[in-house]
Amino acid sequence: MAGDAARAAVVNIEQALAACAKGDKSALHCIYEQECPRMIGVAQRILRRRALAEEAVQDAFILIWRHAGRFDPERGAGLTWIYAILRNRAVSILRDERRVDPQEAPLAKEAASEEDDPETVISKLSDAKALRACLEALPEQRRGMVLLAFVQGLSHGEIAGRLGLPLGTIKSWIRRSLMALKECLG
Amino acid sequence: MTDKPDPEILAGEYVLGLLDGEERRIFEARLLHDAVLDTAVARWEERLAPIDATANPVRPPDGLWPRIEQALTTRQGRELASSPAAALSERLGHWWNSLPLWRGMSLVGAAAVVLLAVGLGAALDRARRQPVMVAVLLTDTNVAAAVVNTFADGRVELLPLQDIDVPQGRALEIWTLWDRAVGPRSVGLIDRARAAPLRLDNLPLGNDQLFEITLEPASGSPTGRPTGPIIAKGLTARRL
Repeated sequence: MAGDAARAAVVNIEQALAACAKGDKSALHCIYEQECPRMIGVAQRILRRRALAEEAVQDAFILIWRHAGRFDPERGAGLTWIYAILRNRAVSILRDERRVDPQEAPLAKEAASEEDDPETVISKLSDAKALRACLEALPEQRRGMVLLAFVQGLSHGEIAGRLGLPLGTIKSWIRRSLMALKECLG
Repeated sequence: MTDKPDPEILAGEYVLGLLDGEERRIFEARLLHDAVLDTAVARWEERLAPIDATANPVRPPDGLWPRIEQALTTRQGRELASSPAAALSERLGHWWNSLPLWRGMSLVGAAAVVLLAVGLGAALDRARRQPVMVAVLLTDTNVAAAVVNTFADGRVELLPLQDIDVPQGRALEIWTLWDRAVGPRSVGLIDRARAAPLRLDNLPLGNDQLFEITLEPASGSPTGRPTGPIIAKGLTARRL
């Protein structure tokens, strides 16, 4: 960490993306300095293995650089856009791994850190009170499914296996949870 | 499941990473021209974004930024080097390697005769050389979408078996993977489903080697690895 003093100067991601679109590599580096540690953290929750998480982050930065011109501030925040690119890469790598070598245990079977446990994640949502309240309004098992998918990248089938419930039940419960979250969050 | 979920819910499932293979591919193709769906995705991304903020930061290794920086420049170079014009001059000896040449020829009326002649030549040529190995590339729903043939002289070709929906501004990229440590390598880029040679050059080629087609930006994957949905995949097998 560069220290909290340096942190005070928070990078304006939207401006940095606009600069990236014009070919300014130092703008990409500013985003890297600020977000890379957390990006590795997000990717590692999905991919478990550190090397794969770094690979996802590396790919994400290349994609951010290439596609910065397509970023539309009207669509959403720059930070959200960056993390959507990262998640997309991480999930692709996760499914790739599974596809390439079906004999090997899927990555998702590797032990997740307790830190990534759904209830632990919810307890850390202190800055997002609305989301936390809406998740907590769901029965524990149902909010757990949503978080296992989003945080750990588990598929419907893996969640079914983890919770010992039929696949159809998982699918419909997640759909209902999404509907409830949508209603609750607006 | 027969009930069709509401687009908002489908968008939520997509953002949760729950759409797999074919579903994901279809969804992403729809996203490109469905503004309502794209807005729904953007809203879910915003709603769930705070969850990403709960991830513990991990100190990046010192070499990561230099690797990214290097990838930015080398990829730029590679993209230029693999432009159709460069590929054409590099492989003039193999006319069938050149999709732009095909396109150009089809534009010229007088070329019809030439096309017929070379087409016949290719057919005779193909009859003389039977493939050594074949990979049938299947979609997620197990439909054979294309075949990869490899020949004794090192030539490798892709023959599509059915039309593939390629959205505007996108292309089909063909990859091979022989070693997970190395990762997939791009061996071809086509604007739509049509017969094309694959450039394996010095890459290894053996039994049970994975070939796959993914949907990528028109100039190819910007990362040098598959980034888009998988259209079809299959392993090579030696013919009897």
